[in-house]
Amino acid sequence: MIDTAIPIAIGRVVATELKPATPHQFHFWTPTDTTIGIGAIVKVGAGSQEPGDERVVYGVVTEGFAYSDLATPLHDVVGAEGDPARADEAPTARQQIRYWTAAVLRQTPEEPLQPVPLGQVYVADDADVAQALRMDAFLYSATPTAIPVGLYTSAGRDAPVYLDADFLLGPEAAHLNISGVSGLATKTSAVEFLLASIFAHFPAHKGRVAAVCFNVKGPDLCFLDQPGDLSEEDRHRYDRLGVPSTPFQRVRLYAPLKADGVNLNTLRTHPDLVGDVEPLTWGLQEVVDYAEVLLNRDDIDAKADAFIDFLRDRVLGRTFDDGFGTTHRVQTFADLGRLFRSIFDGLEITAGGRSDTWRTHHIATMRKVRNRLLNISTRCKGLVTDDGPSSDLPWNAFEDRTVYVIDIANVDPLGQDLVFARVVSKLREQLERRELGVDAVVVFVDELNKYAPGDGPETYVKKMLLDISERGRYLGLVLFGAEQFRSQVHRRVVGNAGTQLFGRMDMDELATPGYQVLTPATKSKLATLPIGELMVRHPHFTQPIFVRFPKPPVLRGRDGVERFPPAADVPFEDAVVRHLVRLDRRVRPNQVKDLIADREPEDVRRALAAARRTRPDDVLAYFRKVLGARVDSEAGVPREHHAVPPLNPISDEPY
Amino acid sequence: MTWWHALIDAGAVPGSYVPPPSPAALARDEAEGTAPPDLVEDAELQAHAVPSRPGVIPPAVSFLNGMARWSVVAYDGVAQIVNAYVAAAVCRRDERGVLHATHERSRAFAIAPMERVSPALRPLLEHAAPDIEPVDSELVGEPARYLEQVESTVRRARAHLERELAEACIDRLGADEWLVLDGLLSRSPAVARHPRALGVIKSHGAQFLEGRGLERALTLPAGYRTSVFAVRGGHTRTEVYSWYLRLWPWEGNDLLYGLLRVEARADRETVTRASALSGWLWAERAPLATPATRWDRLLYPLHHVEEYLKARAPRSPAVRSRLPVA
Repeated sequence: MIDTAIPIAIGRVVATELKPATPHQFHFWTPTDTTIGIGAIVKVGAGSQEPGDERVVYGVVTEGFAYSDLATPLHDVVGAEGDPARADEAPTARQQIRYWTAAVLRQTPEEPLQPVPLGQVYVADDADVAQALRMDAFLYSATPTAIPVGLYTSAGRDAPVYLDADFLLGPEAAHLNISGVSGLATKTSAVEFLLASIFAHFPAHKGRVAAVCFNVKGPDLCFLDQPGDLSEEDRHRYDRLGVPSTPFQRVRLYAPLKADGVNLNTLRTHPDLVGDVEPLTWGLQEVVDYAEVLLNRDDIDAKADAFIDFLRDRVLGRTFDDGFGTTHRVQTFADLGRLFRSIFDGLEITAGGRSDTWRTHHIATMRKVRNRLLNISTRCKGLVTDDGPSSDLPWNAFEDRTVYVIDIANVDPLGQDLVFARVVSKLREQLERRELGVDAVVVFVDELNKYAPGDGPETYVKKMLLDISERGRYLGLVLFGAEQFRSQVHRRVVGNAGTQLFGRMDMDELATPGYQVLTPATKSKLATLPIGELMVRHPHFTQPIFVRFPKPPVLRGRDGVERFPPAADVPFEDAVVRHLVRLDRRVRPNQVKDLIADREPEDVRRALAAARRTRPDDVLAYFRKVLGARVDSEAGVPREHHAVPPLNPISDEPY
Repeated sequence: MTWWHALIDAGAVPGSYVPPPSPAALARDEAEGTAPPDLVEDAELQAHAVPSRPGVIPPAVSFLNGMARWSVVAYDGVAQIVNAYVAAAVCRRDERGVLHATHERSRAFAIAPMERVSPALRPLLEHAAPDIEPVDSELVGEPARYLEQVESTVRRARAHLERELAEACIDRLGADEWLVLDGLLSRSPAVARHPRALGVIKSHGAQFLEGRGLERALTLPAGYRTSVFAVRGGHTRTEVYSWYLRLWPWEGNDLLYGLLRVEARADRETVTRASALSGWLWAERAPLATPATRWDRLLYPLHHVEEYLKARAPRSPAVRSRLPVA
């Protein structure tokens, strides 16, 4: 809505020899009861009647001062005779000033660039805000790329503030970083709102867009498809921003299974909602490509790399002779365990313990790699299956404007790293091949302080985040990162974020060098920022801008858990029934229970996984068929024993 | 282009001189030719304590003050041609204690000894300067005395402006509204007779008392007033009642430190209300009128009006000189 009312001056630019107006900064005064404050956008000029004097300057208030004509504080003491209570009895109020400093956002015309004229100051209206923030170029163009990020509010007015999709999601710039103290900065809420805004406003000419969110804390992102409570003010803001105040229409939730292999490892297990959660389970094939994630710094050497490459190239998925008379076809962790046992037995028995190498690989290297690979199947049991097929994201069929939530909040940190590394790598691969199904993917990663710290070891995850930050925009792979302490995140990760949001900040954090460009008043405002307000830096904005955003239209994690309390783990039989019913509503629970009554749980799990992967028309028949015989993932190699336990899953053994 | 620039272009020598204020200027408010006062309260001049807590400060008060600024801007031979500016304003105090200008008048004029201005410049001066205040040419040869004459002319012009403004103000004064003037109340009969007008005089060039009474007045303790006496002064010779009031302790300073003389209507009611009015003025000590040099006697609202006028006055031609001032 463009406000066409005749503007009323709210201040006047003043300049002195000590504090002159410059092309980038000016000072002005206002009445003491002014409505403007730090962060307000103002306009200078445009009220002049002088022909040719059409210069208009837009600025944002960065500092404020108030003082009276009191020469020294001592005079106030004298006037009140040392009694503070009497100071209020003075019948006359001292002359006061509200004196503001503003940083120039834009001058029109842009050339010649001149000091700000000493003119009247006005509050900016919608059109002025668009001009000041240079949003006109992408808001009013033939192919607009504006994404609402919030409402600029000041002096009783509000004006939508837009980000340029070309600079938020690529290709000109990309990535978003949001910082703020935990609980008060509403980082997750801001990202949820922004995703809703992107889905509503991502321009058609830029293609299809999806989001992948890693839920790493409690139930934060588990209820994005459920409506939350919105106030009238929030609804007004949604209307003003042109974003629907409804939850995400398309949400796909993925969560690993628990160690029992049938119950989902997520807080979204309420009977009404658990049906929408897809299991996320990976087998050896999915893990081994990211074996580097499982190796710590001490493990990384050329020998281990060479052996892993050997396994990947020569062993996995192939018929392989171990040289000791046994032929293997390694498809699962169980198969891999058998291969290793065969090799070690062979070296011990066949070679009489005199040889410690096998196919040029030292036994110590092999033991180390075996421990790392097999450990993951224990530490992340439920995510990584010892034996069986995987249940994965739809890598070739990502849908437009869909949020893919991967709940790894309860997964071992090593498993979280693995999930993150593999998902991001697959996204990159598929985007490179243009086979993902969408043209751009926003990857939301919270806790960058943990995953991409400024110091600490060079982990695989950190390298991946750096890679996205530096090259993702060309692919459409966009990182939305959040952290508490921006100063402690890797500089290249935050530095490559074209758009930066700041919620309420910790004063200690604001004292770090990265915030030196902010004025004390801006820092003070940041330190006391209310919930729902953010400071935005964007390539088009020459100065940080404060905006308010509405509460996300989704159920908050905490509220979701209250409204949909997680169900207790169901017995094995019931869990199997639930999975099968979800695949085929015609399945009768009693039939399933009768079917699995005398079966080994591992066999049932494999049959269930096969049914889940195959999704046959007649689920029960297929399940019965697979359960009847050995369920083989691909080749039907006879299974000899159960899961391979790690040698020493939590030891400090250097291997 | 200003009128004096036109003169300078026509051959006058540019000037930029503001003489320091003379004692006469500081004592501008003193009545000339005052008659001996008559006590109208007490048989002998007494010191009365004023209420330390004022009973009632009038909810609506207007304050009137003026300012004058002049400087020599051109020389025609030794004839000094002066640019003068006088202004007066009334600021009304609202319920929050904030002052707002309600009346304002100003006059910018030239002062020149017209008979001694050269024939080449005189027509130009008469044409370019919209307002000329001629002065006697006899003192042109004595520059210092001539400037005293100029100063007196400016002072009169200011007093005239203030009187006009005060009269205009009291015509529109609200039912419960008071007018406090900086200076003599008795300049205008109409103002001097108004029941809610006070003159606050901070210069004491002329003494109205003598003997024991004078001693008591000059050694008044802070927070005391003298008995009320009648004064017949000013050009109008209008009688007003007056009393001294000490705002700040003089001990350690000088006899006139913090000493005000208050003028009010010559009426018995003034005597009755003298203590209450003194209590009100006592409360006006805060906020201090600093950084004014005479803050001990200057009420802050009057200081405010003066600052307001200074801020709105044309820039002094003297400050255009980039040479250091001697």
